[in-house]
Amino acid sequence: MAIKVNQVLDAKGLACPMPIVKTRKAINELEPGQVIEVQATDKGSTADIQAWAKSTGQHYLGTVEEDHVLKHYLRKGSLDEEKEVAKHPYTIDLDSLRKKIEGDEKITLLDVREPAEFAFGHIPGAQHISLGELEERFEELNQEDDIYVICRTGHRSDMASRQLTEKGLSQVINVVPGMSEWQGAIEKE
Amino acid sequence: MTKVAIIAANGGLFDAYKVFNIATAAAASDAEVGIFFTFEGLNLIHNEANKNLPIPEGREHFQEGFQQANVPSIEELVTIAKDLDVKLIACQMTMDVMNLKKEDFIDGIEVGGTATFVEYAKDANISLTF
Repeated sequence: MAIKVNQVLDAKGLACPMPIVKTRKAINELEPGQVIEVQATDKGSTADIQAWAKSTGQHYLGTVEEDHVLKHYLRKGSLDEEKEVAKHPYTIDLDSLRKKIEGDEKITLLDVREPAEFAFGHIPGAQHISLGELEERFEELNQEDDIYVICRTGHRSDMASRQLTEKGLSQVINVVPGMSEWQGAIEKE
Repeated sequence: MTKVAIIAANGGLFDAYKVFNIATAAAASDAEVGIFFTFEGLNLIHNEANKNLPIPEGREHFQEGFQQANVPSIEELVTIAKDLDVKLIACQMTMDVMNLKKEDFIDGIEVGGTATFVEYAKDANISLTF
């Protein structure tokens, strides 16, 4: 599985605590919301990376093992996202979204998270265009549909919803809060 | 912010790894970390001694394991600890007893008495002794 990331850190062959120490330094160089892939062979790193992410406010996405190399995916935390600010006027909660998905009406569910976040779990049938690419790719959306926009916490999807409305799409609804609270079916790549 | 206070009172290689691994991991996790080096623990930051810390008798075969696992040297860990702003405090009283000067230690350490450590550790979330 090839996942698009902003940075790849090679921590292969390093023993504890070096994978964490190197990750700390690398994350400092990233912008909030960017994604890093940490490659490690230290078997303890899977547990450590998760604990570290929790204590430093990063978002652990998942780990893939390929040819005895552990690839850990992390997204740099962003304080803005933890605040609940909804500016787009049209929103829907997760229960109502679930009913829409299970219903007969045809809808477009647009997931605007980073590719690595999408790869580690999304709602089946969701279309993926990350927020950063929306400007260039919004025409791929079926503009006849109601478009439900989702991210992790509702922050990026709010920005995306407003961006799409500015592009002239009229039926755009922001899903709040987002994948962080989603209890329904999940599909992985 | 999590605050970690460590007392390093022993001077073997294993002691050094316990101290510096936890200190660097905690500092990399955004904790504030201070280590108070006393008695044989002073070896861990001594210019010469920390390049060749003793392995406990009968455990010499661990040396190979350290190399195979690619564990960083104590000197490297000390450098990382300093980069991550770990506060290194050498105990003045033991330095006097052992006739050691500040110049005998690596750069960037502080020298203080127990009161310095107590002041630092009074509101620590985690206190450890090695």
